Amino acid sequence: MAADTGTQLVIFGWDPIWYAGSLFILSYLLIMSERLNRAIVAMLGAGFMVFGGILTQQAAIEGIDFNTLGLLTGMMIIVAITRQSGIFEYLAIWSVKRVNADPWWILVALVLVTAVLSALLDNVTTVLLIVPVTLLITDALKITAYPYLFAEIFAANVGGTATLIGDPPNIMIGSAVGLGFNDFIFNLTPLVLLLLPVTLLPIYLIWGRRLHASTEDRERVMNYREADAITDPRLLKQSLLVLGLVIGGFIFSHAIGQQPASIALFGAALLLLLHNLPRSPSEQTREVTRVFTEVEWVTLFFFIGLFVLVHGMESTGLLDLAAHQILEMTRGDPAKTAISVLWVSAIASALVDNIPFVATMIPMLSSMEATLGGPEALMPVWWSLALGSCLGGNGSLVGASANLIIAGFAEQSGQPIRFMPFMLIAFPLMLLSILVSTLYIWMRYL
Amino acid sequence: MTQDSNDTGITAAALMNPNPKVLHPDDRIISAIELVMKHRYRRLPVVDDQHRFQGVFGVNCLLRLVLPKAVVMEDGLENIHFVRETLSDLRRRLKEVENEPIAICMHDEESRVSPDTPLLEALRMLYLTRASLPVVDPESGRLLGMISYFDVGEKILNAPL
Repeated sequence: MAADTGTQLVIFGWDPIWYAGSLFILSYLLIMSERLNRAIVAMLGAGFMVFGGILTQQAAIEGIDFNTLGLLTGMMIIVAITRQSGIFEYLAIWSVKRVNADPWWILVALVLVTAVLSALLDNVTTVLLIVPVTLLITDALKITAYPYLFAEIFAANVGGTATLIGDPPNIMIGSAVGLGFNDFIFNLTPLVLLLLPVTLLPIYLIWGRRLHASTEDRERVMNYREADAITDPRLLKQSLLVLGLVIGGFIFSHAIGQQPASIALFGAALLLLLHNLPRSPSEQTREVTRVFTEVEWVTLFFFIGLFVLVHGMESTGLLDLAAHQILEMTRGDPAKTAISVLWVSAIASALVDNIPFVATMIPMLSSMEATLGGPEALMPVWWSLALGSCLGGNGSLVGASANLIIAGFAEQSGQPIRFMPFMLIAFPLMLLSILVSTLYIWMRYL
Repeated sequence: MTQDSNDTGITAAALMNPNPKVLHPDDRIISAIELVMKHRYRRLPVVDDQHRFQGVFGVNCLLRLVLPKAVVMEDGLENIHFVRETLSDLRRRLKEVENEPIAICMHDEESRVSPDTPLLEALRMLYLTRASLPVVDPESGRLLGMISYFDVGEKILNAPL
């Protein structure tokens, strides 16, 4: 039991394990209820960990994973600047015109664009960029947007699974375990390339084969001039240069001996410099302020609070106890543990926010390392956690933030995505992707 | 109410036009647009059968109806340089909804004042709204009148120095 992280003088004489456990469960329930903003809940929970005597301030700060925060912040800044160039609209329209505005192939093209962007940017940003273009196109073609939005939910979550930077669970796992960009590319991207057609096939059978548009309406879409979407060619060049350097930095991070957060934040600083160089000091201040307001502070403070909450719980030894229980159930067998983690993560992530789930699982699984046979034996378990928590988000409308963003757009466009009808198709489809992942994990690692 | 330069008690009630032209939520979009265009109204209040204030309908609504939904929605497309449309495309889009009730496009106006809102606060609200301002009875929710730039301008110009 790690009691050196705090005073452990819990108020009212409560047992630290009970206090930390109850506080965590209460915070979790409040986050799930969505009655209070999740950043408020996590920060209050973190405060109670400190004021309740579980952690000192120093210990609380040590529990915060600044590598995750730095990587998220750096990428948010890069995307906030890059999106002004119009590159994302360009990509969407370009891909749609390559398939001659054929309704089914537009769906495939937008799925690919969404998946690739989700692998390189965060999923919420990707859908904020792609879904309005999708609605514009389906409006012009006079066809229902529902299959497109459904497919884009899957594409965002599946695509985000492919890389270290694609989805917050991967960032957290990568940071905690020391897995780099290439590790995710070699281990998860091949599966993602398989999962995309696997999920597209049922979508084709349910909706795709009935999608038709008139020649006149397709002509309207073909008349879009994608080149005109690029509103700032200079910024486009700067953004592509910096994005290329950052991705290159991730790929060679081991060789250059740098952590992803340093690479992303340095890239953000470089792009801010290039973007603001021709401006006057007052214009620079205005533009930098604007870019910083686009940073998702709610997400960052949610992470900060959550890291402290989980660290507090970890310090009481509660997570070691839970890990011990899991090991008893799986009898310390790495294969059983990996498959159990995959399925439990998937089902949990379909129903609750995957970020607190993964934050809790990481220290729990780390403590199993010795019993399971060392770091190498634990690798399939880490990949299972990444796959389960990212792909599980497809299981319901509340499974991932990107799903809710898309549902919000659908509501505004008058074609709402309802919770149960979505889940009736999405949940089995998510289970199918987990079944394929199980086979992949089994054949490749076990 | 006497209005002289020493009257510090002047309120929104003294500034408003008590008989503004109003629309009903069931009015058709096309007839509301024709009315707005004919009299060059920027916006008109909408009231129900009991004359309770429901919102406003204005020329901005016309733009909202002819632009693609993907553009006018919250977090919608900010960059549509690549879209090429004609005036006929816009007319076609309007035609699809012209027989719908104005309720689908009515703006639920949050900027409103009560009849006893003091002069400067009412003018500040008018300045921020940049269009005519509804005066609503806070208890019954009934529309009592509208304050326009022209009503206010007229009153200021006629005030004794």
